[in-house]
Amino acid sequence: MSVAVDRRPDPASAPRLPGRARRLVRAHRARRRARLSELTRPDRVVRGVLLVAAIIPTFALAFLAYQMLKYAYPAIVFNGWHVFTTKFSLGNQYSTAVQVRHGYKAPKGAVYGILPLLFGTLISSLIALFFAVPISVAGAILLVERLPVRVQGFLGIFLELLAGIPSVIFGLWGIYTFGPFLSRTVYRWIADLHIPWLRGPTGAGEGLLTASLVLAVMIIPIIASITRELVRSVPPLAKEGAVALGLTPSETVRFVVIPYIKTGVIAASILGWARALGETIAVLIISGDLLGAYPHSIFDPFSTIATTIASELDSALTDSTGMAVHALAEFGLVLLVVTLLTNLGGRLLTRRFSAAGLPVGRGV
Amino acid sequence: MSEMPAPTMTEPTVDPSVLAATPVDAQGTPRPVDAVFTVEQLAFFYGANQALRDVSLSIGRHEITALIGPSGCGKTTFIRCLNRLNDLIPGTRVEGRIDFNGSSLYAPGVRAIDIRRRIGMVFQKPNPFPKSIYDNVAIAPKVNGIRANMDELVEECLTRAALWDEVKGKLRDSAFSLSGGQQQRLCIARAIAIRPEVILMDEPCSALDPVATIRIEELMVELKSDYTIVVVTHNMQQAARVSDRTAFFTVDVSEGGRTGMMVEVGSTEQMFTAPSDQRTDDYITGRFG
Repeated sequence: MSVAVDRRPDPASAPRLPGRARRLVRAHRARRRARLSELTRPDRVVRGVLLVAAIIPTFALAFLAYQMLKYAYPAIVFNGWHVFTTKFSLGNQYSTAVQVRHGYKAPKGAVYGILPLLFGTLISSLIALFFAVPISVAGAILLVERLPVRVQGFLGIFLELLAGIPSVIFGLWGIYTFGPFLSRTVYRWIADLHIPWLRGPTGAGEGLLTASLVLAVMIIPIIASITRELVRSVPPLAKEGAVALGLTPSETVRFVVIPYIKTGVIAASILGWARALGETIAVLIISGDLLGAYPHSIFDPFSTIATTIASELDSALTDSTGMAVHALAEFGLVLLVVTLLTNLGGRLLTRRFSAAGLPVGRGV
Repeated sequence: MSEMPAPTMTEPTVDPSVLAATPVDAQGTPRPVDAVFTVEQLAFFYGANQALRDVSLSIGRHEITALIGPSGCGKTTFIRCLNRLNDLIPGTRVEGRIDFNGSSLYAPGVRAIDIRRRIGMVFQKPNPFPKSIYDNVAIAPKVNGIRANMDELVEECLTRAALWDEVKGKLRDSAFSLSGGQQQRLCIARAIAIRPEVILMDEPCSALDPVATIRIEELMVELKSDYTIVVVTHNMQQAARVSDRTAFFTVDVSEGGRTGMMVEVGSTEQMFTAPSDQRTDDYITGRFG
């Protein structure tokens, strides 16, 4: 029977490193000093500039998060779990009557419920993804695999132009052109099917579906341009393997191209999703703005967290207790958390797919 | 992957003086009696550049034909003409004639996809699908409409490719979890799963270590009884070890460009002991290449 023996050196009896190790450490430190002193003056300047540049984004994010948290803190204490309710009202800001909870004051009747906004944010961005991902992937594959190089470059320019259009233009286009057109044509037809959630008055084309579709158009350039690069990076040898087996071009796409790009497409979609989650002005213009209630159909007005912060900030600033602004800051914080969570989820998803043995970055 | 229109094809105009200058079989080697491929006066162009000229040879059924020669001599270009894989490259052109089982491979109306289902190919580097081991073998028969018990077919092909014992417990694992040599044997299993008549191998061992190379070579000899094999190799010992017939290609720089051409073809024994062309002798004795 053996007894476990602790072979680690006793700290009391071996207070110092053995001589050889000590010499090694000393030599390492000397080398490091020499390396730094070997830097010329311009080297040192460049090193300093790079260091500052590397630190700035980290600090900016930390500072932003700190400020948001500090600003939202009174609302977090005041609302408690009540922030997860439906009703939203800034209260009677013209009366001097206030309500006090946990030592923080707010106008009488003020309720800051975020649930419909959270719902609006998630549902509009998910509908946008539902349309944008297939269109982007199909478009990118078509562009790279089926079209001559010259046409590819030409159409690629349009993709980049689309990405550069200011979102307010998308909003105006959605409310004046795209929405009314859809309402007159496609929406009528969909509403006539009488499917729950897809029926009801289609109005002038404002509302959830139009906003989601405009969001889709806005995130297509993001997803499609990344997917295009992914499709281009599929090794020709892998595709030739499929062709040499007598597979047709579309079978080659199915069995080679799509498995190769799958992980990357997920990552690209997460990027597009993040953009859709936070998009403000275009959605605000088209959404029809519905506070304190859920949309009853896909054609109804709705609000997102971002649009509510933008639309309510003006009124909130007139709140003499200051709680309205704190509440909007809390909403902002929730949006930040949602974005971070989707990002994290996407990372986990891509890692899971990579772990399935995809040759990402192995250049097979 | 766009399917390019079949490259233009001209019927060979063979006049006697050209015939006299065409490569000849090494002395005393009879042409294969039963030829799968008969190639006459083949030339190949990438745009305006001629990459290959004067290829005339026959590839015998159930034989291993090795194509040897220095880099850039057109071996790979030639082998890719045999399953029309060069069709994928825009601006390429084939001249001359390739008959596959007696009918022209490049005749109008012949679909490249149908041809490729009868001629399997293994590449320089293993290129399995980014799918499971099982799917790698099963996909092509499935989409090509081969009616068979898929599990049995997968086992049969993996067994023939000498891989079954190593993977039978993990058929659902990704093909990329295998070693390079295993991946290459998987690609061979994948190629024989569509029941081709011919297997083209383009330097199948160039990315493999010596042990994996020996396994692939043993496999080639074993597969010979059922398939016709054409193998491109840089490794002369490999050609000598496995092949029945050998064709020697070289690079011709006399007309300014670099054009690959076939020098001679003959039984492997003949080619390595008594080649009829000085260039072949120089190459196999290591004087150049």
